[in-house]
Amino acid sequence: MSLLEVKGLQLAIGDVKILRGIDLAVDAGQVLGIIGESGSGKSMSALSIMRLLPTGAHATGSIRLAGDELLQKSERDMCGVRGKDIGMVFQEPMTALDPLKTIGNQVAETIWVHGQASRREALAEADRVLERVGLPADLFPRDRFPHELSGGQRQRVVIASAIALRPKLLIADEPTTALDVTTQARIIELLNRLVNEDGMGMIFITHDLAVVAGLADQVAVMRYGEVFEAGPTGEVFRTLAHPYTRALFEASSHVPKRDPSLPGGPPVLTVENVVRDYRTPPKRLFGKPGAFRAVDGVSFRIERGENVGLVGESGSGKSTLARAVMALEAVQSGTITIDGQKLDPRDGASFATRRKLQVVFQDPYGSFDPRQRVDTLITEPFHLLGADAPHGAERQARIAKSLETVGLEASDAEKYIHEFSGGQRQRLAIARALIIEPSLIILDEAVSALDVSIRAQILDLLAELSDRLGLSYLFISHDLSVVRSITDRVLVMKSGKIVESGATEEVFRNPQHPYTQELLAATPHLERALAARS
Amino acid sequence: MSLPAIASPTLPRGTLLNAALRSPSFLAGAAITALFLLVAVVSFVWTPYGYATQDIPNKLKGLSLAHWFGTDQYGRDVFSMILVGARTSIAVALIAVGVGIGIGVPLGLTAAARRGSLLDEVIMRLNDLVFAFPALLIAVLITAVFGPSATNAIIAIGIFNIPVFARLIRAAALSLWTRDFILAARVAGKGPARISVEHILPNILNTLVVQITIQFSLGILAEAALAYVGLGAQPPTPSWGKMLADSQTLISLAPHLALIPGLCIVFTVLGLNLMGDGLRDIFDPRLSRSRQ
Amino acid sequence: MTTYLAGRVASVLLSLIVASIAIFLIMEVLPGDPAQFILGMNAQPDTLAALRAQLGLDAPPLMRYFSWILGMLHGDFGTSYTYRVPVAELIVQRIGVSLPLAGLSLALTLIIAFPTGILAAARRNSKTDFAVSAITQFGVAVPNFWFAIILVYIFAVTLHWFSAGGFPGWDKGFWQGLRALILPSIALALPQASILARVMRSALLDTLEEDYIRTARARGLSRATTLWRHAVRNALIPVLTIVGLQFAFLLAGGIIIENVFFLPGLGRLVFQGITQRDLIVVKSVVMLLVFAVILVNFLVDLSYLVVDPRLRRRA
Repeated sequence: MSLLEVKGLQLAIGDVKILRGIDLAVDAGQVLGIIGESGSGKSMSALSIMRLLPTGAHATGSIRLAGDELLQKSERDMCGVRGKDIGMVFQEPMTALDPLKTIGNQVAETIWVHGQASRREALAEADRVLERVGLPADLFPRDRFPHELSGGQRQRVVIASAIALRPKLLIADEPTTALDVTTQARIIELLNRLVNEDGMGMIFITHDLAVVAGLADQVAVMRYGEVFEAGPTGEVFRTLAHPYTRALFEASSHVPKRDPSLPGGPPVLTVENVVRDYRTPPKRLFGKPGAFRAVDGVSFRIERGENVGLVGESGSGKSTLARAVMALEAVQSGTITIDGQKLDPRDGASFATRRKLQVVFQDPYGSFDPRQRVDTLITEPFHLLGADAPHGAERQARIAKSLETVGLEASDAEKYIHEFSGGQRQRLAIARALIIEPSLIILDEAVSALDVSIRAQILDLLAELSDRLGLSYLFISHDLSVVRSITDRVLVMKSGKIVESGATEEVFRNPQHPYTQELLAATPHLERALAARS
Repeated sequence: MSLPAIASPTLPRGTLLNAALRSPSFLAGAAITALFLLVAVVSFVWTPYGYATQDIPNKLKGLSLAHWFGTDQYGRDVFSMILVGARTSIAVALIAVGVGIGIGVPLGLTAAARRGSLLDEVIMRLNDLVFAFPALLIAVLITAVFGPSATNAIIAIGIFNIPVFARLIRAAALSLWTRDFILAARVAGKGPARISVEHILPNILNTLVVQITIQFSLGILAEAALAYVGLGAQPPTPSWGKMLADSQTLISLAPHLALIPGLCIVFTVLGLNLMGDGLRDIFDPRLSRSRQ
Repeated sequence: MTTYLAGRVASVLLSLIVASIAIFLIMEVLPGDPAQFILGMNAQPDTLAALRAQLGLDAPPLMRYFSWILGMLHGDFGTSYTYRVPVAELIVQRIGVSLPLAGLSLALTLIIAFPTGILAAARRNSKTDFAVSAITQFGVAVPNFWFAIILVYIFAVTLHWFSAGGFPGWDKGFWQGLRALILPSIALALPQASILARVMRSALLDTLEEDYIRTARARGLSRATTLWRHAVRNALIPVLTIVGLQFAFLLAGGIIIENVFFLPGLGRLVFQGITQRDLIVVKSVVMLLVFAVILVNFLVDLSYLVVDPRLRRRA
């Protein structure tokens, strides 16, 4: 008998059907990976098992944990199950802990709330649990508060409080999605170790096929509240029986077709020895303010028609560098030249300079003013054309052309932004970037927030535009596999410096710098993981 | 209070009106407020009796068909006094809100646009300073030197409204400045002033409107309090607060003189608050709180 | 942490200085000739001259400002023109009424508001919540002085449980004095408590949406335990700010309530000062009240240090 058996689970919130009868099974000591894009119902399945559903939610079917039917239990009994028989870890470690309580306190809470020990004994036990998850007491005193820890460390605390009583089942809902690649690898390693040590079952929910391929013994593919396919990981990914699974698989490993030749000409962007310092508040009462060097003497070039990737983890300085290139922030020293025009460190950029450069941002939901129509939104860069900005019929024509170039329709110009999906909004963002025909587009994590299948489409669009229009991209991302598929050269950034640069394939196949090697080793790779499995 | 929810209309425009019509708070509040405004407007054209017309033989009469709200110690018709008093309350509260918005909103927008600069610091310090002076104290200071009047009441309440709006607008604007669509506007070469007007202000209008109803209702309460202690509109201009002051010694003889103006204040303020609450619920995109 | 503290202290001092300058400008510079203002139009020249000399009006404004500040730091608030006694004496007498009134009202406000707000949030959308919402909606709309008049009518005039006003003095007995302050405190507290209860409810509901609440429930904590152990303390932070702001309104309200109940406090003192054009009294009392508000807000800032560990940054 499986540790956890879910049969025919249906969930509705009010009139909306969220889960349409799903079956899942997890064995002790095994990992079940649930794969799905946004809206698939994967998180809701997890919350149903924990019975932590929103008000107005109604679940039917069967959820048996070690033979015990969970859907029949009273709320009081469920409180006894949560934390003791089932532990859960969530996606956002930065907000998952009470900021006013110490880490020791919060881990101990799981222990004494179930009456397993007195408060004092619980604190001592919490010590041991924190040690288990890689937070030893000498480096991380138990009276530390969450705000003193990094994202990865906070996630370890959450994991500690989830496994403190050695539950039979651990549910992890996208636990590493918000973390850096190297941190993600370490957390996954930790979870694997805990599963092996305690013999507990784990459900690992993610949208990342590569992660699942490496970690899960069994996999279930979900979409629209249904499980489309389930089975042992190696088998599912080898046979790819269901068309959706196949589509997901192909999208994950999708590499857009590109023409590697370059049109030639003067470089589109030249960055020389740029330094950007931030002032930090003084440590003592009348001390001098300090300085934090976010960008430390960075130099690189982007040729016309070339796509260059900039990879780094959080805190690497890549966002700061991007903003300096966008002329949104002044630099302390060094020069930035865009298509032959130098940026003045004090005055920023003239309109003439800014016209050569546009940006596509990460968040499709935050990149547009919710109150404006599409035609107003995508023509915002016309402001840079000053008196030369087109009016009337010419303006309409350019709007229509821009929309059609990105695969939308001219009639979309009259709609409001909330009428579009995430992928469509990124297309609109690209349309906005294209409308004044820049030489360089900075893509700041432009596909990171998109579902895998949509991501592939947008990458195709970007590749095609780059080839057809001779555009150059500065493609900033933390996701190495995406960068690999669309760039000619790549720059690896750490602590404000470029530690390695070179042709993309070269760097990926033969990384020289230890940090690059570390990054590549930590990045889950779909083919490699599947190969290791067989 | 925690940061106000900046409403992005995830509802298409049409349904905003529908949501308004379905919100009981909004409807009730709007109805009461409309009644109050109507009453004040009507008073310009008609009152049953002159508000200052004395009729000593009929003094201190209770509610009757001749005098719907009774008469005061000089025989004046209370209903007429209430009608005209509504004018005073609205005028003072409305103009004071105008002062608050007119100065407070630009201050708040500027402070947010230049966050961290000296200007921002100065504006925030001035705000804190004015907060240390409740409207009553400002009125005390002004009237001690210039004498009591409705104008001075407006100035006192208005001055206190300025930091309220400045602080609110600054907080709301700050939460927008970090959003990507503002970055996009900056990449398009737009300066902070232009961005504040084109992008920030329209997106914080919801918060502003709700606060306007709140400050309006607070203004009515403040005007009544000032009038009660004699620092507001001076006789013969009737004011609900003054009517309450006069009623105090007569309360055993004529309780209606104390009850009626007070109830009018309560209902007007209640109406405005209900309308404000209703608006807040309509504008809030998180229409259902999902988690347990 | 020391930087935070130092910053707050500097802020307080700056506020006090600017406030005092504002008050000084309005009270001494705006009226033109304060002596003329006090004595009125028909004053004799030699009386004017005598008063000017007494007030030290011959000195330049900057000097007058500094001697005023210095005087206050020494407890010298000048001499009241109307009463001919040091203002400091008057203040000390009156504070014996105003301070306990403010304290009692604040205590009542907190005692009523916190449990009510927490209960309403805990039982969201239930009948209890609805009742609390309705009652507080009314409470917020009620002018405190009108409520006071009604209370007097019911409890003093009709039921004779309390006197209709006046203050017997603390020397007549502690309970006698307190009794005279009960109706006034209730009148002050109820509208404020309504506001605070609504704020508490709203802050708590916002806090209950946070991720760490979900983590606590996942550990097996019941809804009630989660509320008490995690939500309430986090909700206190925005609520404390409001309490600080409310104190200013409490003081202002107290001034008005003293008029309803004929209590010999700072409020009546300042109004008598206005009617009698006694600028010296008005100036000093306003300065004192502003100081009290700034002080209370500073205490609220200090309390953040206790509640929120994020402010106690380690090196």
